[in-house]
Amino acid sequence: MDNLVIDQSPSSPAIMADWNAGVIRMKGDSYPENSFELFQPLIDWVEAYLAKAGRPLQLELELVYLNTSSIRSMMDIFDQMESAHKKGQTVSARWIYEAANERVGQLAEEFCEDCSFPFSIEVKR
Amino acid sequence: MDTAYATRIESLLNDPAASAADMRAALSDLYDRVRTQQQMLDRLTQISDKYQQAERERGISYAEQLQRKVRRVEKIVRISDGYQIMLQDLNARLTAISTHDELTGLPNRRYMQERLTQAAALSERTDASFSIALADIDFFKLINDRAGHAIGDKVLMRVAQGMRDSMREYDVCARWGGEEFLILFANCDKSNAAQLAERVRLAIASIDTSDLHDGLSVSASLGVTEFVAGESIDAALKRTDDALYQAKAAGRNRVACNP
Repeated sequence: MDNLVIDQSPSSPAIMADWNAGVIRMKGDSYPENSFELFQPLIDWVEAYLAKAGRPLQLELELVYLNTSSIRSMMDIFDQMESAHKKGQTVSARWIYEAANERVGQLAEEFCEDCSFPFSIEVKR
Repeated sequence: MDTAYATRIESLLNDPAASAADMRAALSDLYDRVRTQQQMLDRLTQISDKYQQAERERGISYAEQLQRKVRRVEKIVRISDGYQIMLQDLNARLTAISTHDELTGLPNRRYMQERLTQAAALSERTDASFSIALADIDFFKLINDRAGHAIGDKVLMRVAQGMRDSMREYDVCARWGGEEFLILFANCDKSNAAQLAERVRLAIASIDTSDLHDGLSVSASLGVTEFVAGESIDAALKRTDDALYQAKAAGRNRVACNP
């Protein structure tokens, strides 16, 4: 399976999913006109990875602003990871935010509320 | 019940001389039939119960699924609200940046121009007079030249603080230019404004700057005028500027009023 690379734009984050490393990086703001179009390839990629790769998956996030439909898509991805975790697969997430924008950290906490896999929220150094 | 069997039973019942053996055979046959019927009935009841149970479970799992979906939507709404508050905070920060001077924290020229426009409109509607004062730090270029720009900036910050402290709560002071400050005295005629400007002048003159640079002292000259209903703001500013020029010409560190 290929890597998934989506360039950053003013309204959408940079997305880089590395099949061999088992790492997904997302960075930036997300308020695309069509969030389904943006996120579906990533959701498909995660599904394929979790089904076929047989390796751990690490999600690295530096997301700042998310609109409502992007929130929904992120929750879909966390749900995919949660069910993989319940099946015994190793998955984890790390959300990094700027100290100046404390609210991003608080919102990350809300996201991770229902996740039982390792989910850390850290201030950017 | 099939016809042959029914006929057989009827003929046995109608025959008073029917033998016990015949009767017994018929009864045994009947008992078999009843038992088979009962078994079928039990089976039907069981199947029916199973269907009912399955339907009930399906209903419960629908309710559970629905509840899960509702919880999820609630969570999305909650997080989304959080992001909106974040945007509002950011907006407030940007507004503050666009209306305030970074160095002194005072409102900036753009903000003051807006306030002057509002005050002029209010004065035309309600006859509420207001006055303006232009303050200029005396020999500020010399301070910059001798002590350096970093010290100059500190002087500006202290002067701004001194002005803030010596003004009434509802008056506004803005950084108008390099070392120029504009004060809007709301609901205030010229003679009152002159007194208030004098208070500001004294406050500035009493600022201790000796710790910043050897022998450094600070003072300001102020020009004051009252807005005349119907005139342009630029016209009032021009009179204030003329008054400031008079204060400077008369030896600085003083307040001059322009009619």
